Amino acid sequence: MFIGHFTEEPWQKEDWPVEWGSGVMAVSNAEYDPVRASNLYHRYIDEKVYAEEMGFDGIMVNEHHSAPFCMNGVANVKASILARVTNKAKILLLGNILPIHDDPLWLAESLAMIDVISRGRLIPGVVRGGGSESLTHNIPPHYNRERFEEAHDFLIKTWTTPGPFRWEGKHFHYRYVNPWAVPYQKPHPPIWVPGTSSRETVEWCARHRYPYIMLASQIDLTQQMYQVYYDTAREVGYEAGPQHLGFMFFFHVEETEERAIEVGRTLTQGVRSPYDPGAQRPKPWIAGPPGIATKSARALRRKMTAADSSGRTRAGARATFEDQVATHGMVVGTPDSVIPKVRYILEQLRPGTIIFRTGDGAMDHESQMRTLKLMGEEVMPKLREIADELGLPGPYDIDPMTNEPVTAMAS
Amino acid sequence: MTNSPAAFTEETVDIAGISVQLRSGGSGEPLLVLHGELGVPDWLEAHELLARHYSVCVPSLPGFGTSSFPDWLMSVRDLSAWVNWFVRECGLATPLNVVGFSMGGWIAAELATTNSALFSKMVLVGAAGLKPREGEIWDYFLNSAKDAFQQSFHDHESAQYLKYYGRDWTPDEAEQVETNREAAIRYLWRPYMHSVTLPDLLPAIATPTLLVWGRQDGIVPISSCELYQQGIANAQVAVMEDCGHMPEMEKPEEFANTVLGFLKG
Repeated sequence: MFIGHFTEEPWQKEDWPVEWGSGVMAVSNAEYDPVRASNLYHRYIDEKVYAEEMGFDGIMVNEHHSAPFCMNGVANVKASILARVTNKAKILLLGNILPIHDDPLWLAESLAMIDVISRGRLIPGVVRGGGSESLTHNIPPHYNRERFEEAHDFLIKTWTTPGPFRWEGKHFHYRYVNPWAVPYQKPHPPIWVPGTSSRETVEWCARHRYPYIMLASQIDLTQQMYQVYYDTAREVGYEAGPQHLGFMFFFHVEETEERAIEVGRTLTQGVRSPYDPGAQRPKPWIAGPPGIATKSARALRRKMTAADSSGRTRAGARATFEDQVATHGMVVGTPDSVIPKVRYILEQLRPGTIIFRTGDGAMDHESQMRTLKLMGEEVMPKLREIADELGLPGPYDIDPMTNEPVTAMAS
Repeated sequence: MTNSPAAFTEETVDIAGISVQLRSGGSGEPLLVLHGELGVPDWLEAHELLARHYSVCVPSLPGFGTSSFPDWLMSVRDLSAWVNWFVRECGLATPLNVVGFSMGGWIAAELATTNSALFSKMVLVGAAGLKPREGEIWDYFLNSAKDAFQQSFHDHESAQYLKYYGRDWTPDEAEQVETNREAAIRYLWRPYMHSVTLPDLLPAIATPTLLVWGRQDGIVPISSCELYQQGIANAQVAVMEDCGHMPEMEKPEEFANTVLGFLKG
């Protein structure tokens, strides 16, 4: 079992108007207060360092653009800092938005440097990004998938082929590829892919044997996507196992049940990701410009926004804190009460990686630190035993590329 | 001018490497119509009025309507090369008259810069292609498709706005709008709806040109009209009052009369 930690790292401000929602392409950066920002950045870095101390295997960072709900506009900056101030945990970068880079050579070299500085702890995940990322960086959304795949192929070649070489692709062109920095890990750092519900991405991921981390904290939707992974793996000739699959969910633990519910509720408050259950969504043409949203995705969206029998649109149905707790997307309680709930998730999904999303929304630093401490001291040791009992190897137990046990040296 | 409607046909034909949705009607000399970035929903009243005098040919450009959309078409210049190919394979007699709307106007202008002998006369309507001197070209992609049609019309009570856009769309219509946006986004993304080289090439155009602009064009500012007029030696201007970006739909009769006056003059 691989256990990761994640916080979206939102902007925090008590008087954030509700109608601003996640703020994605909706709020001027005149609202950005650098002093407040510096305090928040320090807080979130300190929390990552503490998560490592508490025994998490991986500390995850991500990025979004023109998006106050995620203060990491450039995840590689955060990953660079973590590379030096942490020592043991994997730096789970989920991930770089490949299509929005016009110069993936810069990206290849940045990631190689982070891997080297961390002495081989980088997991450079890759993502396609949402519509707002393409719109803000003015990257053609209609070539999102082509650019994603070509940039990926370019990164792998740059990391594994001694330079100099030339690259003449459709979207990227280089006359001299020979960055001085090459990765610490060989043949190259392991690629993981997070996702929510893009079938095409799951298929692509399975074809490459990359671990797929399901971010949408819904059991049934996750099962569907895992099935796509299993089926694709069989098509290309291997059996996918827990080492290929991960699941992220909201989590908060306290000494008492009452406190857990009271404080856990703040996960659903404040400046929240528009992708979270019950959160205010970006406008459809911002979230899914042509090319990002495929024809089938558009059909799904129409189905989702169609009125149900009571006349209420499904997209308008807000998932409350209680709804999310009831559907296992959010686990809150005492160390004793959360264990069976997480066990249920592990039994239902059989992932080799779980990522706890804590300290998010409007939660304060002290509450985040309390939950991390209880996780380290009481929750995670028990979960590791359960994972062993259920036979859930993570990608550092069984190598997803070969399905062979990972040797100590390779890990 | 008679009042009887011109007969038109709608067919799918394989021309110039793609499967083209082609609407045509009327008789006489050919008149090529190049639609804008929102596509063309139908055989329009303006087409019919023009078809009383010309053989009007309205292809749905690659990616629009039900026309196919090969990967190789990546820019307006590619599109103008394709239109040249289309004209030849259709066997349209050249030089021929052309009317281009917005993006279609840009395509026509690009073609005229490379081959002024292709067109006998050229009408550019609210043409994109130039960075406006004042104001900005309205951003389709930061706004919804519904907003785009609203922005394109000055008069939201005009008959054709109400008929095609000012109402709830059927799922098929909504999907067609998205399909057209997919095409538009590939041609127009960046630099947004303009070329950085076209201004310097405009003096190469020898084709007699009419620039038609709605005074209240909310998509391509009227300052672009002045730039076209300054760049093309043989250009005249017709500004339509109380009219937006789609004069052919907002004021079909006045528009057709303006175009016919120029083509016949």
